[in-house]
Amino acid sequence: MLRRTLLTLASLALAANAAFAQSKPVLTVYTYGSFAGKYGPGKTVKERFEATCGCELTWVTAEDAGSLVGRLRLEGTGTKADVVLGLDVNLAAEAKALDVFAPHGMVVKDLALPIAWSDDTFIPFDWGYYAFVYDSDKLPNPPKSLKELVENPNGPKVVLQDPRTSAPGLGLLLWMQKVYGDKTGEAWSQLKPRIVTFTKGWSEAYGLFLKGEADMVMSYTTSPAYHIAVEKKSNYKAAIFSEGHYMQVEIAGMTRTTRQPELAKKFMAFLLSEPFQSAMPEGNWMLPVKTPAAGLPAAFKDLAQPQKALLFTPEEVLQNRRAFTDTWLNATAR
Amino acid sequence: MTRTLPHPGSLVALTLLALVAGGFIALAVVGGEKPTLLSIGLYLWRVLAFSIVQAALSTLLSLLLGAALALALARRRFPGRSGVLALLGTTMVIPTIVTVFAVFAVYGRSGWAAQILSHLGWTGGFSIFGYPGILIAHVFLNAPFVARILLDSLSLVPAEHWRLASAFGFTPGQIFRHLDWPVLRAELPGLAGLVFLLCFKSFAIVLALGGGPSRSTLEVAIYEALKIDLDFGRAAWLSLIQLAICLTLTGVLNWALTRPPTTHTIRGLVERPDARNRRLKILDAAILGIGTLFIAPLALSPLGGLSHIVSVIDADLARAFVTSMAIAALAATIACLSALALASAARRWRVVHRSPRIAAIYDALPNTLLAVPPFALTAGLFLIVRRFADPSAAGLILLPLINGLAAIPFAYRSLAPRLLTAEERYGRIAASLGLAGVSKLAIMDWPLLRRPFGSAFALAMALSFGDFGIIALFGGQDLVTLPYLLFERLGSYRLDEASAIGLFIVLVAFVLAHVSGRLSHAGN
Repeated sequence: MLRRTLLTLASLALAANAAFAQSKPVLTVYTYGSFAGKYGPGKTVKERFEATCGCELTWVTAEDAGSLVGRLRLEGTGTKADVVLGLDVNLAAEAKALDVFAPHGMVVKDLALPIAWSDDTFIPFDWGYYAFVYDSDKLPNPPKSLKELVENPNGPKVVLQDPRTSAPGLGLLLWMQKVYGDKTGEAWSQLKPRIVTFTKGWSEAYGLFLKGEADMVMSYTTSPAYHIAVEKKSNYKAAIFSEGHYMQVEIAGMTRTTRQPELAKKFMAFLLSEPFQSAMPEGNWMLPVKTPAAGLPAAFKDLAQPQKALLFTPEEVLQNRRAFTDTWLNATAR
Repeated sequence: MTRTLPHPGSLVALTLLALVAGGFIALAVVGGEKPTLLSIGLYLWRVLAFSIVQAALSTLLSLLLGAALALALARRRFPGRSGVLALLGTTMVIPTIVTVFAVFAVYGRSGWAAQILSHLGWTGGFSIFGYPGILIAHVFLNAPFVARILLDSLSLVPAEHWRLASAFGFTPGQIFRHLDWPVLRAELPGLAGLVFLLCFKSFAIVLALGGGPSRSTLEVAIYEALKIDLDFGRAAWLSLIQLAICLTLTGVLNWALTRPPTTHTIRGLVERPDARNRRLKILDAAILGIGTLFIAPLALSPLGGLSHIVSVIDADLARAFVTSMAIAALAATIACLSALALASAARRWRVVHRSPRIAAIYDALPNTLLAVPPFALTAGLFLIVRRFADPSAAGLILLPLINGLAAIPFAYRSLAPRLLTAEERYGRIAASLGLAGVSKLAIMDWPLLRRPFGSAFALAMALSFGDFGIIALFGGQDLVTLPYLLFERLGSYRLDEASAIGLFIVLVAFVLAHVSGRLSHAGN
C-alpha cells in the first residue's frame, strides 16, 4: 500500500515536473552560426542565462551578421526573434530602418570601448579592431602603417574579403576611407597589384592565408589570441598601424514584436553582466565591452593594442556605402 | 477525345512556373518602387560580359575534356574502372569551398604544382588568379560529369549497330562518324546548356579564384542586393536579367538540339572493334593520362582532412549527417517525381499528340530552372511561405524544395530518354492492351525506368547533399547540415576540422555517385 502511494506520488511529481518544464517561457535569440556553434560562446551563455531567468533560451542562427539582417528583413514584424544578437555596427542603420527593433531603455555606461556609446536601440556586447594578421616567421618586418602597406610596391601580398559580401571586407573599405578620404580610389589602385584576391567571406580568406597564399590577411587584432590559446603558436601576429584601426563592434537589440518583453529586457541587461562578458574573449575571440573582474585571459594580455580607434557612425555608413563601394569597384575592377 | 484530368506533367510544369513567378513577384512587391530598378550600369555590363565569356570557355573546355574522356573510357576496360567512374560522378557535387581549397592546394603559391616546379628548378612562380583558376575549377567540376553522362549514352548504342560495324569492317574513323558522333551530337547541346548555366551562376569560386571584382558574376550583384543592400526590387530585376540571358541561351541550344535517335537499349559489345587499333590505344592512353593528371590531384586533395576525421566525429556531426541525408532524400524525391512527370508529358506530346514543339517546351523547362538565381528565388518564396507557416519552419520547407528544383535537370536527363525508349519498344503493345496512366507507368515503363530512376535519385541526393547556398540563410540549431557545420567550424578558426568535414562530404558524395553509376551502367 505504502509502495503504491509512493509510486503514485512519484509519477505525479514527474508529471508536474514535465508540465512545469513545458510551461517555462522561451526566449528566442537570433544569432550567427559560429556564435551558437560547438566552439562559440552560445552554450555557456545559454547555461548561465537559464540559471537565472527561469526560462529556456533558444538560439536561431543565420550564417553571419549580414544574413541576420537579411532574414529580419524577410520576416518583418512576423519575426519570432525576441532578441537579435550579433549585428555589426556598420549595419546598424539598415537594421534600425527595418522597424523591427524596440528601444532598450537601459543606461549603458562604463564600457571598455574606446568610443562613447549613445545608441538607444542597440547595445554593444563585444568588440575588436580589424587588423592585418601575418606570420612573423615569414614576414619579420610587417608594415607599420596602412599607408606603408598600400604605397610600398614591394610590400607584402594580402588576401582580402569582398566588401559586398562580407563584414571585414566592408570594414577595410571604411578603414581605407578613413585614412585616405578623397584619395581612397588612388590608394586602392596602388594596393591592387598586391591583392591576391577578394573572397566571399572571412573564412575563405583566413584559410587561404593559413595555407600560405598570402603574406597578410584582413582579420582582427584578436585572431592571434586563438593561435596562442588553442594551438600554442605565437608566430601569428596582428600588424599595428600608426593611423589607427577601424573597429568592429557587435551589437544586440530586442524586437518590438517580442511576446516576452520582460525576458528580452532581462537578457539585454545580462549581455553587459560578468557571466556573459567573461564568455566573450575565448568563446567569440573578441574583446568584452566590460572587462571581467579577473581581467582578460592570458592569451589576450599580450596582444598588440592599436593607439587609435576609427569608426564611422551607422548613418554615415548608410549614406556613403554605395559611393564607397563604387570607388572601390572603379579602382579594382579593371 | 475526352479530357478528364490534366496530365500530371502539365500540373508539375504549371507549379514550377508558378513557384518561380510567385517568388519574383513577391520580391518585386516587397522591394517597392525603387528608382535603381532600371539602371544596370557600366560595371554590371562588364560583369555580364565576363560571366558570358568565362562560362562559354568553361563549357567548351569541359565538353572537350569530357567527350575525350568518355570516348577513351568507352573503348577501354581496366581494373578499377568502376572506381574511376564513381570518381567522375563525384566532382560535380563537391562543395564549392572544398573545391576552392583543392585548387589552392594543387595550384596555389605553395601548392603541389609549385613545389614540384621549384624542385625542378623553376623559380618564376605563377599565379592562377583570373581565368586560369576559374577555368581549372569549373572544368574540374564539370568535365568529369560530362564524361559520365556521355559514357552512359555511348554504352546505349545498340548491339546490332556494333554487329553491323564489325561485319562491314568499319575503320575507327567510320566508327566514330557513324556510331559515336550521333550520340555525342544528340547529347552535347543539352549538356552545353547545363554546364554553361552552372558556370554562369558560379559565385564563390569566381570570387575567390578571380582575384578581383572585375572577375565576378551577376549572382554576386544579386547576393549583394539581397544581403547587404536589402534592395529586393533590385535583386528581382537583376534576377530577371540573368533569367532572360539564360533562357535565350537554352532556347538557342534547344533549337540546335536534336533528340537522340531513340535507341534500343541492348548493351553494346563488351569490347569495341576499335579497341585494338594501335593509334587509338596511344591516344586513349594520352587522354586518360592527362585526365588523371588533371582530375586526380584536385579530387584527392580533400584527403588532407583525413588526419582530423576522428576528431570531428561527434554527436553534432551525426545529427548534421542525418539532417543532410533527410533533406537530400526529400529533394531527390521532389526532383525525380517532377522530372518523371515532365518527361512523361513530353513523351505524350511527342508520341501521342505528334507535337514535338510542345514536347520541346517540356524538355527545356528543367534547364530553365537552373537559370533562376537560387538566392532570389529562396527569398521570394520565403516571403510567400511566411504567410502560411512559422518562419522558423520555412527552412524545412524551402531547403528540400529549392535543392529539389535545382536537381530536376539532372534527373530529367537520365529519365526522359528511357521513357522514350520504353515507348518505342512497348508503346504499341501497351496501346493495344489499353494500358494508360499509372498502370502504363507501372507495367510498361517501370521495368526500364527502375535503374535510371535509382541512378537519378542518388545523383540528386548527392547534388543537394553538398549544397551551401540556401542553408546559409536558413540554417539554425534545428537545421544544421554538413556544409553548414563546415562553415561554422571555419568561422571558429577550426580549419582542420572543416577540412575533415569537407572530406566527409566528398566521401558521401562519392558513395552516392558510385550507387548512381552502378545503377545507370548495369544492364536491364
